[in-house]
Amino acid sequence: MDFICNSMNSIDKLSSLRKGESALITGIHAPDHMRHRLQAMGLRTGREAEVIRRPRLGPMQIRIGSVNLIMRRRDAARVTISTRQ
Amino acid sequence: MKRLAIVGMPNTGKSTFFNRLTGSSSRVGNWPGVTVDLLSARVVLGGDAVEVVDLPGIYDLHGFSDDEQVVRSFLENNSIDTIGVILNATQLDHQLPLALQVCKLGIRPVLLVNMIDEADQLGVRIDANTLSSAIGCPVVLLSARNGTGFNDARDTLTGELRDASPASLNALRDNLHADDELVQQADALIRKSVSAPSKLVRKMTERIDHVLLHPVFGLPLFFLAMFLVFQAVYTLGAPLQNDVAYVLDVFRTLTLEPLAGVFPPVLYSFLVDGLYNGVGTVASFVPVIILFFFFMAIVEDSGYLARAAFLTDSLMAKLGLDGRGFVMILMGFGCNVPALMGTRVMRSRALRLLSMLVIPFSLCSARLQVYLFLTTALFTASQAPLVLFSLYLASFAAAILTALVFGRRLKSDEPFVLELPPYRQPVLKQVLMRGWHEIAHFLRRASTFIITGVVLVWLLTHFPAGSTPGGAGTYASILGQWMKPVLDPIGISADMSVILLFGFVAKEIVIGSLVAMTGLDGIALNSYLATQMDSIQAISFMLFVLLYTPCLSTLATQLSESRSWKFAGYSLGWSLGLAWAVSFSFYQGARLLGY
Repeated sequence: MDFICNSMNSIDKLSSLRKGESALITGIHAPDHMRHRLQAMGLRTGREAEVIRRPRLGPMQIRIGSVNLIMRRRDAARVTISTRQ
Repeated sequence: MKRLAIVGMPNTGKSTFFNRLTGSSSRVGNWPGVTVDLLSARVVLGGDAVEVVDLPGIYDLHGFSDDEQVVRSFLENNSIDTIGVILNATQLDHQLPLALQVCKLGIRPVLLVNMIDEADQLGVRIDANTLSSAIGCPVVLLSARNGTGFNDARDTLTGELRDASPASLNALRDNLHADDELVQQADALIRKSVSAPSKLVRKMTERIDHVLLHPVFGLPLFFLAMFLVFQAVYTLGAPLQNDVAYVLDVFRTLTLEPLAGVFPPVLYSFLVDGLYNGVGTVASFVPVIILFFFFMAIVEDSGYLARAAFLTDSLMAKLGLDGRGFVMILMGFGCNVPALMGTRVMRSRALRLLSMLVIPFSLCSARLQVYLFLTTALFTASQAPLVLFSLYLASFAAAILTALVFGRRLKSDEPFVLELPPYRQPVLKQVLMRGWHEIAHFLRRASTFIITGVVLVWLLTHFPAGSTPGGAGTYASILGQWMKPVLDPIGISADMSVILLFGFVAKEIVIGSLVAMTGLDGIALNSYLATQMDSIQAISFMLFVLLYTPCLSTLATQLSESRSWKFAGYSLGWSLGLAWAVSFSFYQGARLLGY
């Protein structure tokens, strides 16, 4: 059971997408104030997110609609996604 | 007087619009309920005097960052007639929720949809009429950069201001829960009034990023770019500096000296040797400062700073800071004060405090003045750049050490999320305006701090009456004797320690004080300095100047931004201690090695 949960988590986070892949945002799992900020910057449920850059070290570059964001993997791991489109 | 507030997200061209609307008349000032200074200007719109206030860029009216709180408490505590909301036309889907939040305040805003030229190029079409009637407030399409639609925007604001009556916005917090509805409402509005390609492709930006954000070459290119900027500042600045010094010198010999000759010797010495030479020597550094901020504004306006944050974040993460912190350290090389204020975008207090602890070690343009002067006076032409470069390295090393020491205590879980704007060509007028603000700032300092400092030094070094100017028996030399036990072990002479005392107020005074104290300038001052210290002592002195404290303004900013005496005191104590320890190790180490 644990195994299944873990593997699902690793598939369903924005941080696990590779360069060039995109997915729909399904939620943000963070304390209120943090979620609020991420949403205001464009990470809203239902929007499509595409990974533009994913260097071996350092933050990722994500495109959501007309907005380009850079964010650390640690923070991207708080964003859940759905790749079924 | 009517009042107009300008609100908008970062990267919307808000300040370009503000500058176009207000010209160069803007100034920073205090506002009720707000602990930070805001930029404002008085303009005449349609025959009425109007006060325009530029509020900090925010993503969310209900957010929790310091900037967002500043905007909220400003709106709660000051009566406003109209709000202008600047929106980026290429990102309406992202920005309209903020506009709708403003609409909810119960005051009719004007939506200023900016960057319409860029939107046109990308194939985004906006139906302003549909949008306007659906939201119920005026919508103007414009480009603040090239002026398209600007007159329309000004006229609309003028019309709204004429009809508006001031509203106080106390009911602000009640609207907090409705944000999700606002987003849906915004989406519906966009569907009705905006047509855009499904993907906005910015070919140019993508091509440039392909090179500048390259996984291997990105970071080296960044350091190369920084190196070139500094190089350009000094190769262009040094001749200009000589020109200004020459003009000031000619003015003194041809006009000032004959005129002041009628005064008694003491007054003559005060006016010419003290005041004029002191302030003049400082003024000759104005070109370098202007050039520095000129280049910084270009780097900032082009959109490269966000890239710098991207490239350096993994490095900074190891120090408990983030990419934004690096950018602020970089800004600190211009002046520490705006860099400290720039940390307001960080929400986590721990992260902010750590960044504010580190920034004062950035070798600012005022300290650079001191170094340019001393390295030219005391080192050969081939040694001077190396010494200067080592001081920059020392500045970074002190920042890293500080982050490592305090990072453990100031841990944060702040998300690092930053918008990456497209590259834009900097607007010349905007860049010049920035330079103008810096000169204005410098002149304000010159008229208060620097003149007071120079006068004080002159008094201390020429009194009590009867003592040899700058010699033993003056108040200055008595002060110097007091500090001797502390500063002797790091190789700083009694005369120079008095200078350090004044440098505590502002580094701009240091050179002016030297001139006022000795009554010498030019080559005579250089040879005097050579009698005061050898090269090892000079480096020890410069290290101490780098680290001991940037200036009183920086300390005051740390205090006002942290709202904690304890933090400001801590920061001061740490930097004084570090300065002494570093200079001591360097000086005694070098002497032990026989230098």
